[in-house]
Amino acid sequence: MEKISQSVVKKDHATKVSGRSVYVADYPSEGVLCGKMLHAKVARAKVLSVEVPELPEGYFYVDASDVPGDNNVNIVLDDTPVYCRETVEYIGEPIAMLCGPDEKVVEQLRDACKVEYEELEPVIDLRTATEAFFDYRFGHGDVDKAFAEADKVYDEEFETGYQEQAYLETQGMMAEPEEGGRMFVHGSVQCAYYVHGAVMRALGCGPTGVHILQDVTGGGFGGKEAFPSILGCQVAVAAHKCQKPVRCVFDRREDMEYTSKRHPSLCRYKVAVKDGRVTAMDIDVIFNAGAYSTLSAVVLQRGIIAAPGIYNVPNLRVHGSAMKTNTSPCGAYRGFGAPQTFFAVEMMMDHIARDLGVDSLAFKEAHLVKQGDPTSTCGKYHFPVPIPAMIDEVDRACDYRKKRALYAKPQTGRYRRGIGMSMYFHGAGFTGSGERDLIKAVAKLRKYKDGTVEILASNGEIGQGVRTTFPKIVANELNLPLDKVYYDHPDTARVPDSGPTVASRSLMVVGELLRRAAIKLREQWVDGEEQEVEEHFKEPDFMIPFYIDKFEGDAYPTYAWAVNAIEVEIDTYTGVGKILGAYGSFDVGTPIDYNVVMGQMEGGFLQGIGYASIEKMDYDAKGRIRNNSFSDYLIPTTKDVPNMQCMLHVEKYPDGPYGAKGAGELPLVGAPGAYVEAVEQALGGVTLNHAPFTAEDTLAVITKEAI
Amino acid sequence: MADIRFTLNGKEVAYGGSATDRLLEVLRNEYRCTSVKCGCKEGECGACSVLIDGTLLNSCCVAMGAVEGARVVTMEGFRETERFAALDKAFGELSAVQCGFCIPGMVLAAEALLSKNAHPTEDEIREGLSGNLCRCTGYNAIVNAVANAAKEGNGLW
Amino acid sequence: MVNGYVAASLKEALEIRAAHDVVPYAGGTDLMVENRKGVEYLFLSKVPELKQIAVDDEYVRIGAAVTFTEALASADVPRLMKEAASRIAAPAIRNAGTFGGNLGNGSAKADSVLIEFVADAKLRLVSKKGERIVDVDKFYLGRKKLDLADDELIAEILLPKQGLEQYSYEKVGGRNALAISRVSFAGVFAAEGGRITNVAAAFGAVADTVLRYKDIEATLLGKTVDEAKALKEDYLKAYADRMVLTRGRVSAEYRKTVCMNLLRDFLTKFGI
Repeated sequence: MEKISQSVVKKDHATKVSGRSVYVADYPSEGVLCGKMLHAKVARAKVLSVEVPELPEGYFYVDASDVPGDNNVNIVLDDTPVYCRETVEYIGEPIAMLCGPDEKVVEQLRDACKVEYEELEPVIDLRTATEAFFDYRFGHGDVDKAFAEADKVYDEEFETGYQEQAYLETQGMMAEPEEGGRMFVHGSVQCAYYVHGAVMRALGCGPTGVHILQDVTGGGFGGKEAFPSILGCQVAVAAHKCQKPVRCVFDRREDMEYTSKRHPSLCRYKVAVKDGRVTAMDIDVIFNAGAYSTLSAVVLQRGIIAAPGIYNVPNLRVHGSAMKTNTSPCGAYRGFGAPQTFFAVEMMMDHIARDLGVDSLAFKEAHLVKQGDPTSTCGKYHFPVPIPAMIDEVDRACDYRKKRALYAKPQTGRYRRGIGMSMYFHGAGFTGSGERDLIKAVAKLRKYKDGTVEILASNGEIGQGVRTTFPKIVANELNLPLDKVYYDHPDTARVPDSGPTVASRSLMVVGELLRRAAIKLREQWVDGEEQEVEEHFKEPDFMIPFYIDKFEGDAYPTYAWAVNAIEVEIDTYTGVGKILGAYGSFDVGTPIDYNVVMGQMEGGFLQGIGYASIEKMDYDAKGRIRNNSFSDYLIPTTKDVPNMQCMLHVEKYPDGPYGAKGAGELPLVGAPGAYVEAVEQALGGVTLNHAPFTAEDTLAVITKEAI
Repeated sequence: MADIRFTLNGKEVAYGGSATDRLLEVLRNEYRCTSVKCGCKEGECGACSVLIDGTLLNSCCVAMGAVEGARVVTMEGFRETERFAALDKAFGELSAVQCGFCIPGMVLAAEALLSKNAHPTEDEIREGLSGNLCRCTGYNAIVNAVANAAKEGNGLW
Repeated sequence: MVNGYVAASLKEALEIRAAHDVVPYAGGTDLMVENRKGVEYLFLSKVPELKQIAVDDEYVRIGAAVTFTEALASADVPRLMKEAASRIAAPAIRNAGTFGGNLGNGSAKADSVLIEFVADAKLRLVSKKGERIVDVDKFYLGRKKLDLADDELIAEILLPKQGLEQYSYEKVGGRNALAISRVSFAGVFAAEGGRITNVAAAFGAVADTVLRYKDIEATLLGKTVDEAKALKEDYLKAYADRMVLTRGRVSAEYRKTVCMNLLRDFLTKFGI
């Protein structure tokens, strides 16, 4: 193992394990007002009036009329309001915040508010939605000709549900007015500068009028990418009005019901096959964006770019749309649109293979992309595609091919087994030219007189280990012991904007900036002096420029790759699927700390398995999310996947630090394809088209097919 | 009215509030034991786990009246022990801590398990920690860390 | 203390119960989730009479404030009850949750109550005025509906000492731990001299109360296994016709199919 990969005790280990870390809810309450949100109770309505009970002294009611700047939250577009406008667009939309010193009193006041609605017809069902926030088309080749000449055409629809991030720490933000009128906002966030931009706009002040600190953050997984910008604005406006610190921490039900989650999807695949090969795909991807657009544009982009999977499809047509419905706005969640389309394409390939009488693995192998091949957007796979070797690694770990053949034979009895495999990539970093045109990351190193070096960047530690891996890179280049290099939680008052903590980019993009900065500092190093160096993002030379209007060029500089296999045993009496084993080979380039990377792989893989199997969330006919607690929305426990084996395959990326690529999202993406394929096999080769595939779904198939 | 008396991390304390108050909230607000995390308030996540008379309980599901006369231990107290040191080391070596929110409860669950069963099998560890949700790690590192602590900390439990 | 009473003996507990409008509090795991406002609790976890597991000629007597963890450590508690108790939630909940509380919460999902139904358990209810012994199915009438007077407490669960050796137990939850039952099933079988003496079947988490149909069971009593086999399909059909299930976290259809599969499996397991 390379030296940089050798594990160290994480920098934040000691404070976290001993319970000394201070999360936003942990600051003392003295002098801090507690904020509680008044949420809309109907999916779409005009808010005619709000009757607010008489407020005791020191208690406040804060709504859109209190926003000193602009009542629009700066995300991708600005349609999300800080507090609702004349209408509410989903159940849970924030109408106002009640603030005061005593939490129980605030709750009572909030509950006593009477909102008068004029109800409007909501759009609840994605299939009936007509308003597209975003609508994209791209493709290449002659799709119509390929379909005309096909031996056979396949046409299937795939559906995926919500997934809730279920970070253990709920959303929470706090705003504190400072002397001189500056607003200090801090809390559980992934992207301090996103919140900075949003709060500036809401307060109508310049960049020095606010600063944002990331507190210790109890998990993000995408859920704290954009949502904290909204909550940050809400507490900042409240603190501005009350002229006191205001903190709002969501309870679990609020968090599950009203904050962003993974987009439900409907994907329709039409596939032309000639001479046993896929010649064309015509793909229609629909995401349920919810009531406001938030991050749906970029989530959809990533989803549709991945739509043909990791297969060569000579003729391709992709249409994607993110539809407005009157439900909670969906947003970022680890994988960012790709888990939905990878599920669809993996199942599609599996179904075609079965129809052609060949095994799905062999069929997929015959279509695999390789180095030099074009991508779906006519970019290029510039680097080796290690999937064949990774398939072999997984096969060795679980005897995949043998079990696949064995379980294909007719089974009898109560318990039946199946095994399935998925293969996929995760495009590392922002989609398209985002890094170059939008983010323009800057990172700094500051050396103090005593020789310690501080990393100045805006990427937040959310459990993924950047407070450890960033210093490891810098210490390595400077030949310093690790304790001489440190990285604190970012405060926008003192760190440059190195971009958000998203898109599996922090280590690959910012880590490389820091590596280069460290080399610069090493070359300029003068003992006993305070010194500072800075590095700016530069796009790698090899990239084919990406044009988002045409979806053409290199959407990503490189890709992280994975192969997953999942083995299940289905109880045909109850439909319950027992996971006998889950195996993943992951290529994220050089691991900057083996344990940290394995922690990401294992954690992400388990989230993916949850998404595939038990994590079901749905809303009722009124648009109210029913699964709003940890007893109704089930995530895996220690006992659900005891046999999970992750392996690392290293295909180095020359432009990442020591060969590292994006890692965080990859492990989640492919589990649904592998899991549902395994369930199909256990049920004797049925065709299944949605995820999660629950025990209830399984039993329905068993009953219907008389299995 | 008489206060509710109990020992908190070895210190005798008296609580004058309502017997129906949640131990979780009292620990956090009144005694500033902020290692005790609120994840759900429904006994479904384990982030608020504490030891009461040596037994693992979810402090969100304990009313103050029930702790009258009891010994309550939170991470603020447990972190001063040798057993903690062994768990700390094992968790650190395997990087079993990611976001950290579940960890104080998880470590107390490990303590409760090991104090009853000093040499648990993997299945027993998974059972012992099954009420403590972690969304970050996939649990493998945590389970292995507890196994290592049991091995290395031989004699402590 | 404010809003609460801690009883040190059963006598004291019953006096408080009679004199005040209190909510009996044993383990707290359900009550604290419910989080009722403006109530006073009567804390029972230190009442020695409610903490015992005793055995007499006929019954294993489990005190209402005995926790599931305590029951799992007892050599006297029947294996069937232990199996159900071991599947409840997770250690911290089993450390707090009690048999009395599981009953008192009035939910058909209560895992220990299912076993009490299938075992024909009795409950000893006590008040200042005296005590009465009731059959569990006469006590447990529906969702949050219990035959418990305002001055009464559940003192003990009386589980038959014998006859629970041959059983089927299945809990279908949403995952392998921390799972609330979506369907639970317990069946108890006994035969003497080649004749079926007991073929009890109970279904939990599928309706407002635990379901058990003794009249249908009776059709197999006194029969040989072979005779029962011949009646099997009629017997199953009788259940299928009778069971009207409610939807919850899963659909009524799902519950019905699972119940019928598990019932059939139970019969098959004992040769029927």
